[in-house]
Amino acid sequence: MNYKPTRLTKYVLLFTLTLATLAPIYWMITISFKREVDQFAVPPRWFWFAPTLEHYLDAFVVRSFGQYLINSLVVAIGSTVCALVLGTLAAYSLARFRLPGNLDRKLALWILSTRMFPAIVTAVPLFLIMRDLRLVNTRLSLIIVYTSFNLPFVVWMMRGFFAEVPRDLEEAAMVDGDSRLGALWRVVLPLVTPGLAATAVFCLIVSWNEFLFALVLTQTDDAMTLPVGIAGRVTQYGIKWGVMSAAAVVAMVPILAFAMSVQKYLVRGLSLGAVKG
Amino acid sequence: MRVLNPSAHADGTDRTLAYLLLAPTMAVLLSLTIYPLIYSIRISLQGESGNWTLQNFARLFTDQFFLSALAHTFVYAAVALTLEFLIGLALALLLDTQIRGRGLFRALLLLPMMLPPVVVGVVWRLMLNSNFGAVNGTLKRIGVNTEALAWTASPKLAMASVIAADVWQWTPFVFLILLAGLQAIPQEPYEAALIDGSSRWQTFLHVTLPLLKPAILIALLLRTMDLLRVFDQIFILTEGGPGFATETASLYIYRTAFRFSNFGYAAAMSFVLLAITNVISVGYIRLLQTRVSEARS
Repeated sequence: MNYKPTRLTKYVLLFTLTLATLAPIYWMITISFKREVDQFAVPPRWFWFAPTLEHYLDAFVVRSFGQYLINSLVVAIGSTVCALVLGTLAAYSLARFRLPGNLDRKLALWILSTRMFPAIVTAVPLFLIMRDLRLVNTRLSLIIVYTSFNLPFVVWMMRGFFAEVPRDLEEAAMVDGDSRLGALWRVVLPLVTPGLAATAVFCLIVSWNEFLFALVLTQTDDAMTLPVGIAGRVTQYGIKWGVMSAAAVVAMVPILAFAMSVQKYLVRGLSLGAVKG
Repeated sequence: MRVLNPSAHADGTDRTLAYLLLAPTMAVLLSLTIYPLIYSIRISLQGESGNWTLQNFARLFTDQFFLSALAHTFVYAAVALTLEFLIGLALALLLDTQIRGRGLFRALLLLPMMLPPVVVGVVWRLMLNSNFGAVNGTLKRIGVNTEALAWTASPKLAMASVIAADVWQWTPFVFLILLAGLQAIPQEPYEAALIDGSSRWQTFLHVTLPLLKPAILIALLLRTMDLLRVFDQIFILTEGGPGFATETASLYIYRTAFRFSNFGYAAAMSFVLLAITNVISVGYIRLLQTRVSEARS
């Protein structure tokens, strides 16, 4: 039979799946605003409860989540800036110069392949190396590690964006007396700004979300990131559900803003392994 | 003038600049991926007193915990991959049609995959909690007996629970890649199928699926890589428990290294995981290449 789903079936299916996607997130948000009596209510209270901010105050004022938030920001921004600066230069080189023996292409593939290791493979030796360098429990250790995570991604994204810029533009600037790097800075970079911004957002997401290395490398309050702080609360006995949810909501909010801003570049970014490290 | 001859190989000055621009990136990647790998090989081959030995690798084959952690990893990967692919494909087909509010649906459906895995873990801890979780609460309301449904705390249901969280988070990823693939398929083959009088099912089997194959393979490749190394959500949801029920390879390696400080053995196990991931990804890439060459001939 030539079955054709009706418009109605389609919408019902879409609504159901969207609901299944959003309901769990909504549930967590409500828990973060509920007093304990409401959290444990049976049947669950989806809509009607007296909201409270006590868990947010508890998490970010009484407990150390404010510090974890700052650590997360420092690490995410620091590693994104480092990866962007180094990666953009390498990407420009790979996009513009042919090296003997196809070396440029081989290097590009090798750079991408460094992203493919399962994280745990490098987590074990990197912990020992960082311990030898006395960098365990510092934010610097995470900035260094996340820079290396994001570099291959930046190189491939930016190489694509540079390739889309016509060579004539920078060559005209160079005929006018600019150096190559001057032309890159004044002529090419302004043209790839949207791509650069999208790449930066992907790097921020990866660094912000990363868990395994943060867990291994930062265990003290003045270094640990938000995910590690949340995980510490989850796996202890006597979980403070409200505190945990409040912290998780705060960890989620920047991601929502970021996600909306890179919709257009998602497919390209994801095929190169953005989001998940 | 060299600037007017850009397509040729880089000449002296340009070549120096090319290498200079690449140098910092190469230095970072060499010292943070290649050097740790060499370091890891060394510690995996050394005994406690620094002597060279193969004992860490010999132990792999008799370690029941490691073998069952690998088995859990495969079960987890296979079931999650199948579900994510089927639901993702259905969603992609559903959204590849004329539908009102398509952009909004797409944006909302993609949310879970952007979230920090730790947050996903928290979300599902809250949903699946047997006392106040929304899942059991809702089931109870419609008259289901939820006494036996302890989800993450039950040895039988724990694996299903962690897989459900993975499917929830990563189906959007498969969906997005497949939707992009669908939208890149030109109209002509469909028109031809329509003229041939093919049914919708035949068109799907003989036109859509073959043309979508590269996108399918890329989605499956990327998902398989991530599923085999899964750590974050399971760590939050069950910590590998109850007992050993959801302990995957990455969790067992983590525990061996960072709880029991047996770094050498952890390194040896991580190489097994690396080898498995590599073999599987090479398989996918072969498949991708044959598809491309078939399409060309």
